Amino acid sequence: MEENILEIKKLKKEYGRNKVIRGIDFELGVGEKVVVLGPSGSGKSTFLRCINRMEEPTSGEIRLNGELITDKNIQRMRQQIGMVFQHFNLIRNLTVMENLTLAPVKLKLMDAVAAEKKARGFLRHIGLLNKANSFPAALSGGQQQRVAIVRAMMMNPKVLLFDEPTSALDPESIGDVLALIREVANTGVTMMIVTHEMGFAREIASRIVFIDEGHIIEEGAPGEFFSHPKTPRVQEFLQKVL
Amino acid sequence: MDEFGSKVVELFTTPEYIDSLLHGFLLTLQISFFAILLGLLIGLIVALVDTSERSKWTILPKAICKIYTTIIRGTPMALQLFIMFFVIFAIRGFPQIIIAILAFGFNSGAYVGEVIRSGIQSVDRGQREAGLALGLSKFTVFRRIVAPQAIKNIIPALGNEIITVIKETAIVSMVGMYDLNMAAKDIGSGQNMASYIVPMFVAALFYLVTIYLITFAIKRIEKHLQKSEARG
Repeated sequence: MEENILEIKKLKKEYGRNKVIRGIDFELGVGEKVVVLGPSGSGKSTFLRCINRMEEPTSGEIRLNGELITDKNIQRMRQQIGMVFQHFNLIRNLTVMENLTLAPVKLKLMDAVAAEKKARGFLRHIGLLNKANSFPAALSGGQQQRVAIVRAMMMNPKVLLFDEPTSALDPESIGDVLALIREVANTGVTMMIVTHEMGFAREIASRIVFIDEGHIIEEGAPGEFFSHPKTPRVQEFLQKVL
Repeated sequence: MDEFGSKVVELFTTPEYIDSLLHGFLLTLQISFFAILLGLLIGLIVALVDTSERSKWTILPKAICKIYTTIIRGTPMALQLFIMFFVIFAIRGFPQIIIAILAFGFNSGAYVGEVIRSGIQSVDRGQREAGLALGLSKFTVFRRIVAPQAIKNIIPALGNEIITVIKETAIVSMVGMYDLNMAAKDIGSGQNMASYIVPMFVAALFYLVTIYLITFAIKRIEKHLQKSEARG
């Protein structure tokens, strides 16, 4: 039997009367690469952000490795769930190096020397070692996002969440960032990606999940999903975007 | 013009006059300094309460802060000073300087609170999220990420508030305290109108130089803080 890293049951998120997530059940197996698709306003970003409680769910259960995520253990849980944001969110008052080492050192996952060594290795790999002591403002959007991905990797996360990682980038940097995500995927880490890059979704996903109006309305392997969509809503969506 | 010149000479050669001015200036500085410190302390507390998450533990403190800032910002400083002097501390022999410090400190706290609160809230939400998503505690996120960025937004407005307090302390002359403003009036009094001109100009110069120096210091701090986020 396949092992699940995430189990989500009856997840709901409401902002007052506005029901954004209307009951989602979802399981994520170890090593899976799930791409979440859907029209804007469908709730796909909110769904992702509920997993590490960037948004507080209104109701429902989320389990990481079988353990229920609660207010009490959220800090420990977040250390195992990496997140990459649409707007990179590198910490502006810290250098690139400090962005990478702050959390692992502060949370005592590594000592300062080991963290810096690991960070240097990552930065060399993405060709930004010369920016180690720069502040984020000195980097282009694509560079910032690649640093943000590496920052998440510094924590050795069990799951990596990508919230529209290329939506705020110029076309030229998108390729660089996607290439890095592809590389991260090849390391075997479990990932969930919200994106509008259909080509990339098709290429990288082991499973596609389609959300509309707060529900998962269709899911399946990318080949099947893109060539033989079952529901009219997905057929219509794909016709428009492809 | 001759008379003006002789008045200047008179002011700077009469030891009592110099004494009065310096004493007045010292009192102005003392009240201002301690009132600003008290205002910062109160303002910081108000801002932290104001920006804290809503819970059953914060409802009452939040309400108290709201009432406090509403009252302070909605009534004249001079009236607050009178209430402190003639109602709350109408105790014979209670040191006037302490009453004045409390009056200006409590007043300033409401404004400083607003300055710090808006400084904290102007930090991009994503900065906080980035720290939390990494598993850092709320305290660490505040100390290492939010606070350092908020300070950059806060310092210029805080400078304005400090300057305001120094100038506003001049109204302690209304309750008979001998500050710089009062000293100027005192030296000029009992003579003709022309005799007021020189001490008042000198007092103005004292205020002006003090405030200029503070403005200069704040600009330096601002520049220094900007550097830590420089490109390159």
